[in-house]
Amino acid sequence: MDNPEVDMTPMIDCVFQLITFFMLVINFESTSADERVKLPESEIAKPPKVKREDEVVINIGFIRKHDGTKRNPDGSTDNVDPLVFLNGEDIPVGAMTPRIKKDLQLYKLQHPGEAIKTVVKIRADSETPIGAVQELIKLYQEQKYEKFALQAMEAEQD
Amino acid sequence: MVERRTELAIPKPDMTPMIDCVFQLMIFFMLTLKIVSAEGNFDINMPIGQSSGTPDPLAQDLKVRLKADVNGNLVNIQFGSRSLGNDERAFAQLNEEVLRSIGGQPGGPAAKDAEVELDADYNLHYSYIVKAISACTGRFDKRTKQVIRYIEKIKFAPPKAKGANS
Repeated sequence: MDNPEVDMTPMIDCVFQLITFFMLVINFESTSADERVKLPESEIAKPPKVKREDEVVINIGFIRKHDGTKRNPDGSTDNVDPLVFLNGEDIPVGAMTPRIKKDLQLYKLQHPGEAIKTVVKIRADSETPIGAVQELIKLYQEQKYEKFALQAMEAEQD
Repeated sequence: MVERRTELAIPKPDMTPMIDCVFQLMIFFMLTLKIVSAEGNFDINMPIGQSSGTPDPLAQDLKVRLKADVNGNLVNIQFGSRSLGNDERAFAQLNEEVLRSIGGQPGGPAAKDAEVELDADYNLHYSYIVKAISACTGRFDKRTKQVIRYIEKIKFAPPKAKGANS
């Protein structure tokens, strides 16, 4: 008796379809987005038409408990200040100057004698006090950064 | 003597290695897939010394004052000297006021020169700032599905001291 052979064609068809789908939707770009930051929504916010050459992404938000209450890194829930989430570290806004200077040094090595064209993209959590964002902008301004962009989630439009 | 083949068997390729590879590829793409939600941005131009310098007499600055309570919730929006309230209607009104201040012509010469200065309390939540910037920047036309731009230039007033809510 012959061995019954299964027809693999439909399965291979399906699998190729799936592969094509995943290949198309994949995004290799590192978005530098931190999941702890919940951006506010806006109908007007649109991504820039021309891709920016040089940008720094800054995530600013809070560490939260499971129930959503804000907490400090030591676990206390009083006077919770926002933190900058940078490369896996949680840094208070006031302690950002050394980081900004380090970034700036790197930029100057890559672009000697040029003015800073870097855009500082600020991804702030909805509940971040604007004063903290302004403090951060000020620290960047002190290092001669001039261009800033505030990020918001594109709202669904019906 | 010529050898004659009576039955020409069609060779069946072994599909197993290909299917193995294809499954490997599929698992790779599935694991590396990261769904990114679409984000937009508002450009804020803050040249050095602008906030501390003397105001430019030629620039047509529209001042929007946003007052907050200790919890960071919006208490009142003030456009120039007019008080607009703190609800959704206040933002709609702000949008109308901005349109009126540029002569009702989005994209006109008045809109190009105008600049909005946001003066917010320290505690005010970022979400209200985004709403205020949205109201000043333009509106979404549901009929044409296009964004109508009002004022593109947005800046911040010097930051307020922490806890100095009014």
